[in-house]
Parts: sequence; structure tokens; C-alpha cells
Amino acid sequence: MNPQFIRNFSIIAHIDHGKSTLADQLLLKTGAITQREFKEQILDDLDVERERGITVKARTVAIPYQQDGIKYELNLIDTPGHVDFHYEVSRSLAACEGALLVVDAFQGVQAQTVANAYAAINNDLVIIPVLNKIDLPVVRIDEVLEEVESILGLDISDVLKVSAKKGIGIEEVFRAIVAKIPPPKGKPEEPLRALVFDSKYDGYRGVLTYVRVMDGTIRKGQKIRFLKAKIDVDVIDMGQFRPHMTACEELGPGQVGYLVTGQKELGLVHVGDTVANPQQLPSAPLPGYQVPQQMVFCGMYPIEATDFEKLREELQKLSMNDASFSFIAETSEALGFGFRCGFLGMLHMEIVQQRLEKEFEIDLIQTAPNVTYEILTRNDEVLVIDNPQRVPDSGQIKEFREPIVRVNFILATEAIGPIMQLCAERRGIYKSTEYLGPKRAQLVYELPLAEVIYDMYDKLKSITRGYGTMDYEIIGFSPADLVKMDILVKGNRVDALSTIVHRSNSDRRGRALAKRLKEEISKHQFEIAIQAAIGAKIIARETISALRKNVTAKCYGGDITRKRKLWAKQKEGKKRMKQFGEVEIPQKAFLSVLDANKDD
Amino acid sequence: MTTSLINSRSSQHADAAYLHVPFCVHRCGYCDFTLISGRDELIDVYLEALEIELSSLQSPRPMQTLFLGGGTPSHLSLSQLSRLFDLLDHWLPTTSESEFSLEANPLDLSWEKLDLFAARGVNRISLGVQTFNDDLLKVLERDHSGTQALEAIQRTRSFVDNLSIDLIFGVPGQSLDLWQQTLDLAIAAQPLHISTYGLTIEKGTSFWIRREKGMLSPLTPELEREMYGRVMDCLSAAKFEQYELSNFARPGFACRHNIGYWTGRSFYGFGPGAAQYLDGCRELNHRSVTHWLKRVQSGRSPISERESLNDEDRARELAVLNLRQIAGIDCCEFEERTGFDVHLLAGETITRFLRRGWLEATDSHVRLTREGRFVADTIVAEFL
Repeated sequence: MNPQFIRNFSIIAHIDHGKSTLADQLLLKTGAITQREFKEQILDDLDVERERGITVKARTVAIPYQQDGIKYELNLIDTPGHVDFHYEVSRSLAACEGALLVVDAFQGVQAQTVANAYAAINNDLVIIPVLNKIDLPVVRIDEVLEEVESILGLDISDVLKVSAKKGIGIEEVFRAIVAKIPPPKGKPEEPLRALVFDSKYDGYRGVLTYVRVMDGTIRKGQKIRFLKAKIDVDVIDMGQFRPHMTACEELGPGQVGYLVTGQKELGLVHVGDTVANPQQLPSAPLPGYQVPQQMVFCGMYPIEATDFEKLREELQKLSMNDASFSFIAETSEALGFGFRCGFLGMLHMEIVQQRLEKEFEIDLIQTAPNVTYEILTRNDEVLVIDNPQRVPDSGQIKEFREPIVRVNFILATEAIGPIMQLCAERRGIYKSTEYLGPKRAQLVYELPLAEVIYDMYDKLKSITRGYGTMDYEIIGFSPADLVKMDILVKGNRVDALSTIVHRSNSDRRGRALAKRLKEEISKHQFEIAIQAAIGAKIIARETISALRKNVTAKCYGGDITRKRKLWAKQKEGKKRMKQFGEVEIPQKAFLSVLDANKDD
Repeated sequence: MTTSLINSRSSQHADAAYLHVPFCVHRCGYCDFTLISGRDELIDVYLEALEIELSSLQSPRPMQTLFLGGGTPSHLSLSQLSRLFDLLDHWLPTTSESEFSLEANPLDLSWEKLDLFAARGVNRISLGVQTFNDDLLKVLERDHSGTQALEAIQRTRSFVDNLSIDLIFGVPGQSLDLWQQTLDLAIAAQPLHISTYGLTIEKGTSFWIRREKGMLSPLTPELEREMYGRVMDCLSAAKFEQYELSNFARPGFACRHNIGYWTGRSFYGFGPGAAQYLDGCRELNHRSVTHWLKRVQSGRSPISERESLNDEDRARELAVLNLRQIAGIDCCEFEERTGFDVHLLAGETITRFLRRGWLEATDSHVRLTREGRFVADTIVAEFL
């Protein structure tokens, strides 16, 4: 395929601005899928994603398109649309020359519109702004155009106005893609360099490697080398997604497709690696990607100890399909053998947990998530702390550092006051305010990540009645007065409940956590003391009195079925408990650390 | 469901039946039973439908125990009651050996009605007293006073010996003293049977909504515990024998019908919301009175849920029901009935609760201890 007739692009948008619907329309209009095959949001094929209306994994599809008698190949490389998945967005963008920036004609520019647009600009992509949902009864076209121009600095003279849902303006989108997005630059005769931008484990074919060819050509049957992994393999099979897997004989410069190399071993294919021809090595590998920043960690423990190996296998499979997820075995006195898992953010964590439970049927106990900290010891060593249990004695700590993020809020002007107050309570440092129009503003703060990830998004949504948006990026670590807070249940320290808190908040959070635990742990035959402690000092205490009575209601013929179901449910709930000494602690209790971190 | 009424009836014959009469003057704030209030014009239609439902039996079934529950069976007029008794005489005949129970509200028990009940074979009346304290009766939204309840008890006794009274403890505003007063009055009134229930606040009742809004504060579990303890102490001192968690009787007057539920006996169910248990299959009629009416009138099955447990689950359920009885699980009989040895089925659970002192085991039985009765729900759940 002559690269001149190839266009590689992504669609980027704030969540719910219509990215997936536009992608579907492009497929439908070109006959890449038939009406019969057409399913809503065909690109979101993970259950969890479909449920939540978001794309997590990067997808790719080759769209055959004909214009003025010329046949083009348009490669759409889909990107995730949530704040947690910046990393995957940048991966997709690196495989493109252009991007469609979809903006809702009513909601206008939102925080992730800005973040995605900047990511595209940083990758030197041509951006084509697309105003979507113009069929809605209420739109603010002129104001939104002004936002696109003033915030993003994009030329709005020929912005496309479409309705992806109704199929309005789609032809113009195709024309803009062909006219404005440059064709790939690589040459077919140069030494092969292809970027690995994703990989997937397929039960039948083994590892599938998704590549974008930058220079040269890959042919079926040839030997290839992964430069970083330093392994040579044969291309057993290869093809493109159209959108179903369609075999082909070769992929030339600019083309996007998958390789089957017969590898069964997990972990050998690195996203960001360069595929080359061992007989004709290029002068340098491709730049690849930055290592993803995993900022949120939690422990995942199988409830049944015998599930440990199964859990390891499933985590391995997951990490194969998701380079931004990591795990390492750990043990907890309270929970036994499990894994400490790293995620890009909270949503990412929830998705992984849901997939484990749903697809693999492993009952898990998950500890409350925490961010990564750094500790400078007296010996001037820097320890990276992804688990509160690893915090050394306070005597060894010279400096305790926490990650700081720059948070970008886009909101109505009347919400500025309440959000500023919220940020002040969260130890935020004010940076700037910029007015985007008479009614909307962009507010920038620097905040500790730990104060942002748990519930900032929910707070913002409630303060702005759903209209405010936010986005953040890590800017570094800074020292803070942090301490490890332990929880003692009936005199025993439960390591999985330890958490790192700011000293100024420790009393309040200790009390809140003890109170939450009192609600979560059901009564036992004996009294249970719950204490929060910093070092040897007890800062809060609650007592769960002994169980001595529960309801004694009637149980006659008509009640039996309902009662049995009720009791069975009660018993089912107990399966999710961990016996700790004499005390049964339910799964939810381990997450109550999270609630206690929230403001009451 | 397209099953016709006739085909839905199982082939097994039972000698016990429950018949639900869903009419009340008013729905009390704590009540979540199947009932309809202020719709007395439906009673005649209901009786017609009941006739259709009963005729699905195809032939009369002699009854060892028959229980008319509600709602308020005593709310029906004399002529409506006569018609109901005619139906029962035909389809579910009882003899003087049978136990024929009827639930009644104190205000309904006129001499005429009592006379009719006795004449038509009712030999056990269960009276909804709840409490003798007038303030608490208002909280419960009952329509009678404590004095009226006492009068009804006296009147009833001239016609029917086997009188039971229902009491509720744990009512918001109820103190231990007030509960003691009600217990004393109940004992002094000399019924042969007393049932006591801890108030439960169920979804869909006005109590539930009021509690959610903070307008109703339930008693503490500690106080409820003392109240239940008081029941057991006082009634055993007054020579009542506790035979189930909520039920106390003078020797020989335990409710045979209800014991059937806890021993896994088969029984028919008629009327909206009624359950029946035949051939190990439990079926539940539609709870909506109008829905039940429509289905029966159009010749369709009124059953909304049907459940057939596998052998093990059925055995576990029986263990739970047996445990509600003070006698507990008769291990031999249990194995004969279910094919499971209860010590193999739930050995670990039994051992654990024996150690806690919540269960006790003899050569032949496993049963709750007195302490175990306070936490019966926690214990029985573990047998499932």
C-alpha cells in the first residue's frame, strides 16, 4: 500500500462527547461494518467498559475509504477517554499523524478536551476540531467555538459540525481526514521499524502484538526482532482489524495491524518496543513510551487461600493486556498471601477488580488504595513506599514525601468559591484562574494526589451539579508532615488497615475510621475494641458491644422462603470475611479506610 | 404463567391448610402482610374466587388442622362468614378432633360472631391483642383499647376454650415496665396460648418510612433482649411451656398447625399471598389481592412463585425450621425424613455453637440453649 493513501488518526474527546458514536458512524458509512453487524459502541468490547460507557483499552481498525476514485486506508486508533488513562492516550497518539477532537456542541470544552488536545499537540499531530451533537435542541455553537479558539488555540474557520448519532456531516469528516492529516512519512525500502503500541493475550493464538509500521515493511513468515526485549521470532500470521481480524501478507509504512508470533510466554512483548528485521537492523530504535506512572496501589487477596495461584495467573493475563497495570506478591499478617497491585488511578483499579471477580470468579478482599510515597531515610536513601506497611520507624525518616498533582478544573464561575474552599481544605496551592467566557472559568491548583483521587471528582460533580470537569497530571513529590496510622482490633494490629495520613488530619481521620469500622464489623459474642494509633499513641477508640440479641420475628408457612433467602444472604455476606484472631472482619471494612479519608 | 388452576394442584394430599382472608378495616403501621383495607365490596367477589380456587382440589380433603389467617378473618360479616364456612365444610372438612384456628381482632368479636364460630367448628381463636397499653396501641395504630381486648378475651372464652393471644414487644416508646404490665395482664387473663413477637420494621410499611425519616426510634437491642428474657421467665413461671421461639402454651395446647410448618409437613394454601407446601415443592400465591382475584376468576393459576429445593437444601431448611422449636432437631427423625445425618451436614457449625454455649446436644437432639434463643437468626443462618 502506497503510504500516500494512508491516514492514521485518533478520535479524542471528553467522556460522553460522542467519540464512540462517531467511530461507529465512520465504520458504518464506509461499509467496514454492515448495518447488521453494527452494534452501538462497537469499539468498546470489554464488558466493564460497555457498562460504564468508556473505552479503556486502545483499539484499532482499518477503514477502507474511496474518494474521487482513489482508494484510501484510514486507520482509526481509538483512545481511552478517562483521566486515569492518559498513558494509553499518549500511546495511541504516537501511532497517528492526526486527531479528530470531538467537542459537544452544548457542553463545550471540558477538562479532558483540554488534556487530550494538549497531548495531541505534544505529539505534533494535526488536530481537526469536530463539533458534535449539533442536532440537539439546545446548542451553544458560537460560544463553544470561542472556547475552542481561546482555550485550545485552534483555528475555528472551518470547524466541522456533525451529529454522529444522526449521521449528519460525516462525509465532511472523511474529506477533512484525507485533506488535512498528512500521510505517513516512512519509506517501504528503509530498514523495518514498527512501534508496538499494544498487545493482547488470545487463548488460541498466544500473544497478539499490535504494531504501527513507521519505516519498511513486515511480511508474513519473516523473522523479526523485538529490539528492547532482544528476542527473535517468526511472524506466523498477521493482519488488520477491519474491524474483525482479517489476515494479510504484509504491512507497509503507516499501516497498522497485528502480528501472531506464536509466543505463549507472558511478559515478553513490551508496549513501546520496536520491531525490526534482524537481517537489516535500523540505526536506532523508536523512542517508545514513557513508563506509565502507577500512582494508586492496593492489596488484593484471595478469600480462599487456594485461589492464590489462580489469582497470579489471572493477574498475569491482565497485565499482558494492560501494560499500565502491575502486581507483585506480598503477604499480610491479617490477609495472608496476596498481591500489591499498581494502577493509573481509581477507575483503573475498579475496572481491574471487577474484571477479576466477573471474568475469573475469584472472590477478593481488596485493601483500601493508597498513593505512592517517597521516604528519605537518615542514610539519605530514597525509599518508594507503595504500601503503608513498609513505612519504617519514624526515627529513620528524614523526610516523608507525597506526590503532588496539578489539577485543572473547568467550571461555571459561581462554583469557583466552593471549589477554592474545598482545595484549601485539601492543602491545595492556588495557581491561576482563567475566564473562558462570561460564565466559565479554568481554575488551576496544586494538590496532594492523596487528597484528589478518592473523592475530588465526586465532590466537584456535586458542587457543580455535574457540569464541572477536572483533569490532573503528576508534577512531582514534595515533603509533608505525614504519619502512618495503625488500627488495632481487639488489641491486635491489623496491618492491612494501616494508612498514611497528614498529621494535621490524623485525629479526625482516626476517629472517622474507628467509627466506620464499628459500623462494618458486626457484633460478636464478646466486646471488641477498635483503636487508631500513631506509633504507640492511641488517638481514637470505639467499642463494639457483644452480640446478645437479634430479632425474633415470626416464621410461619408463608414466611419460610423469604426468611431462608434472607438468612442465606446473611451467610453469603460472611464468606467475604477474614478471620482475624477471634474477630471476623468483612471485606467492606478494609475499604472503609477510604470512606474515612473522605470528609464527613 | 399459563398453567390452569386445576393442573397446578399437586397430586399429593395434605391434611393441613392455611386460608388467607386479606381484609382489614385499616392497615397498621408495622404490618406488611397481604391485605386490603377499606375495600369490603370485594369480599363477596373474594369468596367467589375462593370457591373456584378450592374447587381445584377436585374432591374434599379432610383436615387435621385448618388455619384461617389474615388480614382479619373476623372482619367478615355474619353472612359472609357463613358462606365461607359452607365452602370449608365442603372442601376442607374438619371434625372435633381437628384443630380449626381463626385469627380475630378484639373489636370484631361480637356474641353473634363468636356463636357462629363455635357452631361452625372453630375450636381455637388467636386474638391480636399486641399490648394492653393504650398509648402503645396508638403507636401501633390498632383500633382497640386494652380494656376492649380484655373484654374480648372474656367473651371469647364462653365459646372457645383454646384461646391464644398475640403480643408484640420492642414497640417504640415501650419500657421494660410497660412490657411487664402487658405480660402480667396477659397471664391474668388465663389464655391457653401466648405468642410474643419482637417488632420488626419491614420495607414498605409506614414504620419503615418513619424510621428512615428519623421519626421513629427503635429500641436498643439490649432492651429488646431484656424484654424477650422477661417473656421466657414470666411465662414459664406461669406454667406456660415454650415450644418455639415465639410461642408458649399450657401443656397440650401448642398449635398443631404451626408445628406442622417447623416439622416440614405438607399443607395447602388458599387466598392471596398464601403459601402451600406439597411434594417438597413450595408455592406462593400472588400477594396482590386484585391480581389473585383476576387470575382465579379467569381460570388461571394464582401462583406467583414456585420453588423446589434439592435434597440437601431441603434438609438444611428443615434443620433451620426444627431449630426454631425448643425441642430442636430430633436427629433420628431428621435423618429419616431427609436422608442426611445432621452432624455430618452441619458438624462444624454445631461444634462451633456448642462451644459458644448457643447450642446444646443430647444423644437424640440438637437444640438452642436459652442464650442461643436470643441470637437464633445468627445461628440458623449458619445451617444454610
